[in-house]
Amino acid sequence: MEGIIESLGLNGTLVAQIFHFIILLVFLRVVAYPPIVKMLEQRQAIIANSVAAAEEERKQAEALRQSYLADMQKAKEEAQAIIQQATKAGEAQAQQILEAARAEANRVKENALQEIEREKEKAVAELRDQVVTLSVLVADKIIGKQITQNLQHGLVEEFIKEAGDLPC
Amino acid sequence: MKGLEEVHEELDLWGFFELGHHGVVHVPVFGDVNAKTIVMTWVVMIVIGLFTVVATRNMKVDRPGKLQLMVEEIFSFLRGLAFENIDPRKGAGLMCLIFTLFIFLLFSNLWGLVPTMMSPTADVNTTLGMALTVFFLIQVLGFRYKGIGFLKHFIQPFVVFLPITIIEELSKPVTLALRLYGNIYAGEVLIAVLLGLFGLVPDLLGGFLASVVWLVFSIFVSCVQAFIFTMLTIAYIGQATAGEH
Repeated sequence: MEGIIESLGLNGTLVAQIFHFIILLVFLRVVAYPPIVKMLEQRQAIIANSVAAAEEERKQAEALRQSYLADMQKAKEEAQAIIQQATKAGEAQAQQILEAARAEANRVKENALQEIEREKEKAVAELRDQVVTLSVLVADKIIGKQITQNLQHGLVEEFIKEAGDLPC
Repeated sequence: MKGLEEVHEELDLWGFFELGHHGVVHVPVFGDVNAKTIVMTWVVMIVIGLFTVVATRNMKVDRPGKLQLMVEEIFSFLRGLAFENIDPRKGAGLMCLIFTLFIFLLFSNLWGLVPTMMSPTADVNTTLGMALTVFFLIQVLGFRYKGIGFLKHFIQPFVVFLPITIIEELSKPVTLALRLYGNIYAGEVLIAVLLGLFGLVPDLLGGFLASVVWLVFSIFVSCVQAFIFTMLTIAYIGQATAGEH
């Protein structure tokens, strides 16, 4: 053992170097090590935060996109509904206008018919009147007999009535 | 032909070999110590202190400076390695040790490339000291996480393997220490040898070429050896603390 130590040139330096190493270890542990570890941890934390933030933003963007899509869909549906409603209203109005026009036409026709009827009756009445007068005159001429106008008139009217009941 | 000791003593610009008996000084607590190794270790420790202090002051999260980035990258790299092999819950407390180990070895290895300086790791005392520290750390961690059951791995799979596993266990610090020592010391020796070869090829780029190429390679070796030592430490700790299968 002595020989090995002698030939390798081992001496107190060995212990001194272990001592030196321990001093250096303590020095670095106190002075250099904490800031390095702290720095690396901070950097790691920053990176982790960035990744988390990016993920969060991506999620938000996705949600926003979904909501926009939903809004667009809703707007489309509403527009469709409005168009349908407008079409229906237009059709209804057209129908109404048509109905009104038809009713008006009917009313005008009715009026016209009534007017015609009235005029006809009036004309018939007038005709009758004239026929009576004419008949009286003719009878007067032909018979030459003086009958009081009123009596004559009554007679003829009676005759006409009888005749008017007959189908002519 | 001069011996290596003589060459080193001739290259001793700072006069370390004039101290004590050929540079070996007797100090109260530690006994005989190699003065050059100790002084170089102090210098390296001061350099590491300055480097880490400067790098960790005014740290910024969003715009890290160059030194800060360097330290952070080294730390992240080591943490990645460690957490692959050690359970992160157990490994988190060891990160400072692993970081210190790597930084110390890296700076020690590189320091020898500065002219007239010497790597503390080019002395077998340093590397064996570090390796023994790691060795004891592994035993302590093993007992801490597995209790007395940690001793079971000596007699697995059969009791007859006991001598082999003991040798295996002891060879860990020895190989750790000698691998690092051999690489760095050889690097320094070769730097000295190539300096001696200046006179042979003065016409070719002033004789500097071989030295420069070797310095570049030494930088690479320094980094790799520091990495290997740290990596093996992590692996050994991982073995010792791994949960029961």
